[in-house]
Amino acid sequence: MEGVWVGLLAFLTCGYFALAGFDYGVGVLLRVVGRDERSRRVVLRAVTPFFLGNEVWLVAAVGVLFGAFPRLEGELLSSQHTVFSVLLAGLVCFTVAVQLRSPAWDFLLVGGALVVAVSWGVLLGRVLGGPSVLWGAGLLVLFSLHGAVFLAWRLPGELRRRAVRLAVLLVLPCVAFVVAAVFTAGSVAVPAFGLVAVIAVGLLGGAWVALRAERYRVAFACTALVCALPVVAVFGARSVVTVSVMADLSTLRVLTWAAVVVVPLVLAFQWATWWMSRAAR
Amino acid sequence: MDALGLARLQFATTTSFHFLFVLLTLGLVTVVAVTQTRATLSANPVHARMTRFWGRLYVVNYALGIATGIVMEFQFGLNWSGLSTFAGDVFGAPLALETLVAFFLESTFLGLWIFGWDRLDKWVHLALIWLVTLTAYASAFWIMMANAFLQHPVGHELRDGVLRMVDFSALLANPTFGIAFLHVCFAALTVGGVFLTGVSAYHFIRRTTEVEFFRRSLRLGVVLTAVATPLLVGVGFAQFPIVQEYQPEKLDTVGALDGSGLGFMIQIGFVLLLVSWATVPLLFRDWVVKLRFPLYLMVVGIPLPFVAAIGGWLFREIGRQPWLVQGLLTTSDAVSHVSRDQMLVSFIAFTAVFAVLAIADWVLIARLARRGPVSSDESPVSPLVPAL
Repeated sequence: MEGVWVGLLAFLTCGYFALAGFDYGVGVLLRVVGRDERSRRVVLRAVTPFFLGNEVWLVAAVGVLFGAFPRLEGELLSSQHTVFSVLLAGLVCFTVAVQLRSPAWDFLLVGGALVVAVSWGVLLGRVLGGPSVLWGAGLLVLFSLHGAVFLAWRLPGELRRRAVRLAVLLVLPCVAFVVAAVFTAGSVAVPAFGLVAVIAVGLLGGAWVALRAERYRVAFACTALVCALPVVAVFGARSVVTVSVMADLSTLRVLTWAAVVVVPLVLAFQWATWWMSRAAR
Repeated sequence: MDALGLARLQFATTTSFHFLFVLLTLGLVTVVAVTQTRATLSANPVHARMTRFWGRLYVVNYALGIATGIVMEFQFGLNWSGLSTFAGDVFGAPLALETLVAFFLESTFLGLWIFGWDRLDKWVHLALIWLVTLTAYASAFWIMMANAFLQHPVGHELRDGVLRMVDFSALLANPTFGIAFLHVCFAALTVGGVFLTGVSAYHFIRRTTEVEFFRRSLRLGVVLTAVATPLLVGVGFAQFPIVQEYQPEKLDTVGALDGSGLGFMIQIGFVLLLVSWATVPLLFRDWVVKLRFPLYLMVVGIPLPFVAAIGGWLFREIGRQPWLVQGLLTTSDAVSHVSRDQMLVSFIAFTAVFAVLAIADWVLIARLARRGPVSSDESPVSPLVPAL
């Protein structure tokens, strides 16, 4: 039973990084890909059908964290109080700016996305014992790559070419980040961490090849998986999630019926959103 | 002010802002579901236009409100880690259920509803808005269950210094839960009714040409308010014996802030009840529009139910102090071990961000509401709602 909940928490967190990652990436790159107001609108329109659906993965993950891992939740959040505060402020700014969308608010949109990406990097770095600066920069380039690949897949014409060029440029910095992250990681996690890193480099290579071959969906799948890998690394570092921080079986049993019903439903309906948005193009 | 004071002030501020969004979301989604049902059944295109107009206001409010919800959720762990450590097994369960059963599903359904506009079968699309409505109220259901546990903790036992859940059904049957949940539901419906009435009245003051559109909206708003307020006031007063039994000190030691909160809530409740029923006969032959002066009152009245709701929460939450979980955990024991400066930073950051968010919401909604039901091929105000 405990294993199921560790798995569900990991799944939701991975889902959040893989999906919302491109939201933030697109936010960071908004004014790079969109050189004028008209093209910026086109860029944002590519993301907005998925925006609500992507962000709620975070809400669900934190909900599960609270319900099934109450002692981890309090410990983790309060010990990283300032980073989480900054992250949330950035997240709110980003959401508002996307919603209000006028050129005057773009600094909030780009700035908010940047703050969120860097803050997640800093948090992951702290949990995994790596340098904050490296992880902050690393997640920023990683999410930017993911956003660029998403745009390469979803946009037409000149905007697509621009996104592809950016994505190709960003692959190498991502590889450099992964390698640096392994060499600066605490010794405890290295075996598992090394394996994750090898997979990450492989996927980044795969994304590069797919971009060159104009197989954008494949490239998107690759970068989505890479974005989720840091989460896998955190869960791989066994010391973070243990039974002692979890809720009692009596609580988990109550929560399980809800998860069994809801998670497949959400997956089905989110898939429908993707399918519909594709059919409309 | 120390870290505890700042944490409490931060919670009060963010929760109050959050609840303003919640009320309007719940109220409007019900209105949208009703109008869309009529649009699906009727051949008159005015219902579809009403759905689009009120739906747009609803979506803007929801999309900005979701940001406040995310912060609320994190805040428990950030500032009140003592609560999750001690009572997380029991208190966390309804919160987790809320995020999964309600919020996660609600946003997914809503996303599909927004972008399924004109693309999905009309019955499927109608089913989606009712699913959104259902999950929205389910959200309130679980949150009120969690809050009721703080007022009157049930279904738990103390083992190894922390609370463990022994009986989930006791949480459901908690006397401080069901009736308070209904109170929140009727408050949201009242907000929806008053909002609909006020915005429609504004357009009549401006001598709108969309007479049929706003006549129907105004009628719906007045009737909704008139139906909801007696129930709202009724379940409100029905809570006094429960508070008397389980938290008598709430009524014995009423302070300035929670006392005036309670007073405002009761007065506003009665005013809305009387005024809405006085307006119902005036709907006959549009007397209410011809008289004109009631229209101004309707616009002025828009903020009233919001003020009442904040007053109600002040009474419910301040009255419980010094306890966070009544009789089991004090507020000062639950606060996280973070420095005063850290707390101050997060307090300033969140308050500033929430204030911006609320103002942005009101400005945007006011702008959309003023513009009225213009044809849909104009460029959308918000990229989140291009389909609407």
